[in-house]
Amino acid sequence: MSRKLSALLLAMLVLAGAMSLKTVVTAHGNGAGIMANGPAPLPDPFRNGPAPLPDPFRSGASVLR
Amino acid sequence: MPGTLGYAIWIVGSILELAVVVSAITKHSFRRYLCLNLYMLFSVIVSAARFQAVAQYGLHSKQYAYVYYYSDAVLTIFLYLALITLYLHVFDEIKVEKYLRLTALLLLAGTALFSYAVVQQSSHKMLTVFSYELSQNLYFVGLVLTYVLWGAILKLRETRTQLIQLVLSLGIYFSAFAATYALRNMYPDSRSFGYVVPVFGCLLPLAWACAFWRLAPDARMATARLVAVPR
Repeated sequence: MSRKLSALLLAMLVLAGAMSLKTVVTAHGNGAGIMANGPAPLPDPFRNGPAPLPDPFRSGASVLR
Repeated sequence: MPGTLGYAIWIVGSILELAVVVSAITKHSFRRYLCLNLYMLFSVIVSAARFQAVAQYGLHSKQYAYVYYYSDAVLTIFLYLALITLYLHVFDEIKVEKYLRLTALLLLAGTALFSYAVVQQSSHKMLTVFSYELSQNLYFVGLVLTYVLWGAILKLRETRTQLIQLVLSLGIYFSAFAATYALRNMYPDSRSFGYVVPVFGCLLPLAWACAFWRLAPDARMATARLVAVPR
């Protein structure tokens, strides 16, 4: 039981660390990484592979359909 | 449409991804690092699908954006699984496989829940935004996990050269993207990142292909020799 709780604790610690890091990294930005807040975001540079970036998803009336 | 250089980088990256799989098969490492090779194989397929979308609908089309972001989310999950298999390789002698799998599952579920919590206000196109957010968050989780794994490798005095190179190249890959991400947030109007990001996408398959091609699966680093000091 304690080992399972340790696994849970470890997972939560890593998640908290990762999200804190993300917050630090995007702290000086224009909120482009947080799409739920509404402003038109930039394309995310985080990607897999060498394919070129598409246009960002936009909010409001011109949202992707 | 991307320029000639953009297409060239894209094609080179796809060839390098294929080279990873070919190298692994040739050097009998395909099954040993199955998730990692499946990730690369799927990357090649996704590259082909993205190319098809660009050729058919154009770089600025909604269709390409959907293909890109949805496939990116799936690829990120594959990359996460590949990273977890590297953990299993490093910790295989300690017999904690069951707990590692449990932790990995909890972490993936936690990241998905966190991403959902962030985007739940966005009722319109929530699935699309969720896949984007999940992909983004999983990258940061992967970044942290890679550094934790590197710490474990140092602590456990891991000597398998191929495994070390795979982990280190993954760490550099994640770090490079994190740096680019931060810079893009600081300088959102800069156009100079246009080719930097695709080049980073080529470096990981290049490093992995070299690891599979040049290093034997069981090759180990020479450990420092102990010197017997007479008392």
